[in-house]
Amino acid sequence: MEGFYTSQPSHVLAASLEILKSQSFARDVSVSLEEFVIGMALAVLIGIPIGLLLGSFQTLRYLLDPPVMAIYATPQLALIPIYVLWLGIGMQSKVAVVFVAAVIPIIVNSIAGVRQVDHSLVLVAQSFCAKKHDIFGKVILPASLPSIMIGVRLGMSRGILGVVVAEMYVSQDGVGNQILKLGSAFRVDHLLFYVLLVSAFGFAATSGVRKLEERLQR
Amino acid sequence: MRNSRSWLGVLSFAIILVAWEAAVRLGWLNPFFTSRPSLIFVELIAEAKSGELFRNIRVSLGEFAVGFGSAVLVGLVLGIAAGWYRIIEYILDPFVWFLYSAPLVAFYPIFVIWFGLGMYTVIAISFLLAFTPVMVNTIAGIKSVNPGILLAARSFGARPHDVLWKVALPASVPMIVAGLRLGLGRALTGVIIGELFASSTGLGYSIAYNGQLLKTTDMFVSLMVIAALGVIGTQTLSALEARFDFWRTGPGL
Repeated sequence: MEGFYTSQPSHVLAASLEILKSQSFARDVSVSLEEFVIGMALAVLIGIPIGLLLGSFQTLRYLLDPPVMAIYATPQLALIPIYVLWLGIGMQSKVAVVFVAAVIPIIVNSIAGVRQVDHSLVLVAQSFCAKKHDIFGKVILPASLPSIMIGVRLGMSRGILGVVVAEMYVSQDGVGNQILKLGSAFRVDHLLFYVLLVSAFGFAATSGVRKLEERLQR
Repeated sequence: MRNSRSWLGVLSFAIILVAWEAAVRLGWLNPFFTSRPSLIFVELIAEAKSGELFRNIRVSLGEFAVGFGSAVLVGLVLGIAAGWYRIIEYILDPFVWFLYSAPLVAFYPIFVIWFGLGMYTVIAISFLLAFTPVMVNTIAGIKSVNPGILLAARSFGARPHDVLWKVALPASVPMIVAGLRLGLGRALTGVIIGELFASSTGLGYSIAYNGQLLKTTDMFVSLMVIAALGVIGTQTLSALEARFDFWRTGPGL
């Protein structure tokens, strides 16, 4: 193999040390992380209630399901140039990319979660005179949690790709920006470090959610 | 019931379009940023007449077909192999997880050196993004087949390859189709981001190009076409699933 294209493990290791010691590293990571966390938090806070509402009220669901499915089927990253036009090249446009990429799978899976709740559970609660908000909070919500968490996990991996691609498309700093610069300069060893970093972060984040899932289900 | 459902769906799209058009005409939204449906429609017709629209669609669809097609082929073959032989699964596992969560677009400059700017690079990105979910779901599907039916097949004297082709594979159709659906979305995403960065034709390129010229209307035309392609693709897969999974009786619904 030609080292120019693929680099080699020892070079990647050396490059990693170099990057870790550099000052811009902490800033790039914190910028990307901040964009990701804000977008993701908004997606969870807004997506789950919307999904629960749509799952519970049929008319609302029939009304909003087609546009939601249309957005779901569209590659979210095609929207990046539009966000840049609307929100500029700074942090807001990346937050928007993460938010939209993550919120749609969260909504879709929350809807599915509510709809999969075993109807006899609701009937039992009703026959024991449970109030409406009790049924919702104590029966429907816990029963649809597994599906919601799958949505969060899917949304998260899309959000991570979203941050990196949006920063590659246009930005002044962040991990994606570094990746673009290093790639265009063919510094494959440095590039590989960042790619592995994002990959490891994605893996750690999804495993984290899976752990949370298991704990919530007990 | 079915009727009221489709009417409400049509109604919601109509409301969105009318509200969008009205908001721009009343001056609440700046058409420079949001364009408006009637302008987009006129531009769509104009691009269709000039042939630009179909040229872009042909390029993107071609890249998508090759990228997704090869992803399905490779994903299914590796997935079946790894689902059936545990040792292959163990060997492939670390690579799969790396590929699944790695931002593969990062390698586009290297792909450009290998394959040149344009079609082949876009296909490579699309393939790499799409094949992991196909493979992961195929593995999961084959491994989660009810052991009872495998045992039943064996005790009736089925040979190993019969068990695989006639029992395990048909039983994992829903998982495999779920993987195909994820893969389809990712293949389309791969085509679009590949074109954003490393192409000079296609729908994704047209979005990026018109975005840089601040031609919002032209951007929306390509975006709408991409959305339409996504919807058509997903619907086709649902139809396929119904076709291959007809024997399953379901929970009596």
